[in-house]
Amino acid sequence: MTQHRRSAGLKVIGALAVPTIAALALTGCSSSAGSTSSSGGSKEFSLAFATSNTIESPFQVLAENYMKSHPDVKITFNPQPNDSYDQTLRTQLQAGNASDVVVTSPGSGTGRSILPLAGAGFLEPLDDAAKELLPEGSASTFGSDGKVYGQATEITVAALVANETAAEATGGFPADFSSLQQQCKALEPSGKSLFALAGAAPPNTGLMAMSLAASRVYAEDPKWNDKRAAKETTFAGSDGWKSALEAVKTLKDAGCFQKGAAGGGFDAITKGLASGTSVSGFIPAPSWKQLESAGGGSKFSVRSLPAERASNSYVFASANYAFSINAASKNKEAAKAFLDWAAEPEQTKAFAEIDGALPVTGLDKYDFEGSAYKNVGDLIKDGKYGPLPNIQWPNSAVYDALATGVQGIITGQKSPDQVLQAMDAAWGQ
Amino acid sequence: MTATMQPESEAAEAPRRGGHTPGAGQKTRPRGQGLQFGHWWWALPGIALVFAIHYVATGIGGFFAFTNWTGIGSFKITGWANFEAIFKDPTKVGALSNTLFLAFGSVLLGNIAGLVIALGLNRVLKTRYILRTLFFMPVVLSPLATAYIWKYIFDFDGPLNAFLTAVGGADQAKPWLADPQWAIWTVLVVLVWSSTGFAMVIFMAGLAGVPAEVEEAAAIDGANLWQRFRNVTLPAIRPAVAIATTLGIVQGLRVFDPIMALTGGGPAGATETLATQVYKQAFALGNFGGGAALALVLAAIILIFAVIQQRLTRSNPED
Repeated sequence: MTQHRRSAGLKVIGALAVPTIAALALTGCSSSAGSTSSSGGSKEFSLAFATSNTIESPFQVLAENYMKSHPDVKITFNPQPNDSYDQTLRTQLQAGNASDVVVTSPGSGTGRSILPLAGAGFLEPLDDAAKELLPEGSASTFGSDGKVYGQATEITVAALVANETAAEATGGFPADFSSLQQQCKALEPSGKSLFALAGAAPPNTGLMAMSLAASRVYAEDPKWNDKRAAKETTFAGSDGWKSALEAVKTLKDAGCFQKGAAGGGFDAITKGLASGTSVSGFIPAPSWKQLESAGGGSKFSVRSLPAERASNSYVFASANYAFSINAASKNKEAAKAFLDWAAEPEQTKAFAEIDGALPVTGLDKYDFEGSAYKNVGDLIKDGKYGPLPNIQWPNSAVYDALATGVQGIITGQKSPDQVLQAMDAAWGQ
Repeated sequence: MTATMQPESEAAEAPRRGGHTPGAGQKTRPRGQGLQFGHWWWALPGIALVFAIHYVATGIGGFFAFTNWTGIGSFKITGWANFEAIFKDPTKVGALSNTLFLAFGSVLLGNIAGLVIALGLNRVLKTRYILRTLFFMPVVLSPLATAYIWKYIFDFDGPLNAFLTAVGGADQAKPWLADPQWAIWTVLVVLVWSSTGFAMVIFMAGLAGVPAEVEEAAAIDGANLWQRFRNVTLPAIRPAVAIATTLGIVQGLRVFDPIMALTGGGPAGATETLATQVYKQAFALGNFGGGAALALVLAAIILIFAVIQQRLTRSNPED
């Protein structure tokens, strides 16, 4: 009888346990990862951003400063590794549990780009404070129909970061493309290189190709992307783009890259630049600050890639990161208050200083001479700069075709024509 | 418990066989009551979860293979367009051929190496238990972690090139994982290294069932080592060969993490496989429909080869 009773008891427990566990599991699954609604005025919100190294993110530093100046506000940080940030952001937005404030990019060329996310209704339109921060000529990459979905945080220069101490030791940084090749050949026997390249990391090869295209395509025709979008031209039909990709092979043949560059990762760049075995690298300009802190006393600065003709010198400088508000957020007021605060001139200046970038406002009064940007100051003051091209490309497949294609040019697998045709094919996807 | 665990016929015969059974002579308890523990419907929550997580999710994923969904927002049904695009794109076709090369290469070499090691460590050798552990170790270790160690070994500044330079082969030093000719072979080496231990364990289990007396009888009859292996051992371990090769092919066709860690599919797609392409298309490039279509193609290929392989290696044609 005892066994009977125990068996019956187990049946009851089993019958209750199954739905209970299922309910608990389902509750756990449906709990929000980011957005928590706070009672009494919504002073609490969450912030998602990408991190790519151990140095504290400038977004986090800015948000911590906000909490210091606003003690009643609590911000929950949701950092994500850079390589999985786009997918995580999209998945969370789709599921309705993304953070209240998310870091996005203008345009439509990446997984975190504003236009497709706004088009799908995941981002909240922002107010005048965000509109006032729009860099000149970039409104179309921050929204459509007069609405703005991202608040620019800084101006990022995408060019070369050079170890000035190493450059001086090798006779100074070359002034034009011809002397650049000669310097590469002179450096090669000593085991040094003018450029450190992460050949196995497609974002780096892509950035190099775009830097080569700056003076060959965009200096002469800053509206080239608009023409490509209107089908007035193609990559394969562009002499400038062809010249840019042929220059990749020229640089390789001249010994401009470190040995084994085709298999190099980003560590090859940081090691090469910090130790001075490589003079410069194609990395986002704010990296100068991190390298200088790790570079054992070396001085770093931002430079444009020498052009074939000095008059064609051109550099990419644009707002590549933005704050956006999740349309499904329950704490929009608190999020908007943070964005309004971050749009104040003191905060934009502070954010640029934290990250080592240029401020999104007050660029005309910026002291280039006293900064790491002194070598590109004249280009920016003369207006010889434009947004990073892939921001305006319709999807991330175009940039992927460029980046992996350049790797193929370096290894001898592909010709410039093949790469350009692949980019045209990706444009139409 | 005993009564419910036994097959019905065996349970019915148990009292007759035993003669004296505890409780014999007492009134027989009605079947299906009291000691019976469990009902088929208890499995329903599990079945529902498996159905929801595996089959419904897979079915929904399969549906998106016929759409142009980017991963967010709305989509349109595009029919077979994603599948047409796959077979027109040289990158995808290259990924398919790489997938088959790596799968069959790793199965062939991994199983040969596993069988040789299993035969060597089957009997006699005193250190066989330590050696078995060492050879099995790669199976236990994280594929991702070991892939990063291999990446360091094959790096241009890594130990392999340092060794080549030290022995006078500096001209052979190269970025192995970024060399268009060598990268796929380098990946194959890593896959064979990681799959050998698994094949070895399966073959050792098979070899344990081969009676030593039969082998001795063959030896007395004058069979040499190869003849004993070919005519006695191999037929006896045929089921083990079937299992090792089937699992190896399935594993090889869907290999993902070692390639992502070693080469990321590069250089310029030289080591791209269907699995890495599924990930890139669906999650990195926002082409969820294309990625889902590729995943369906991959699933179909795995299914076809698994069935073919099972039919080729089955021991009894009537199975």
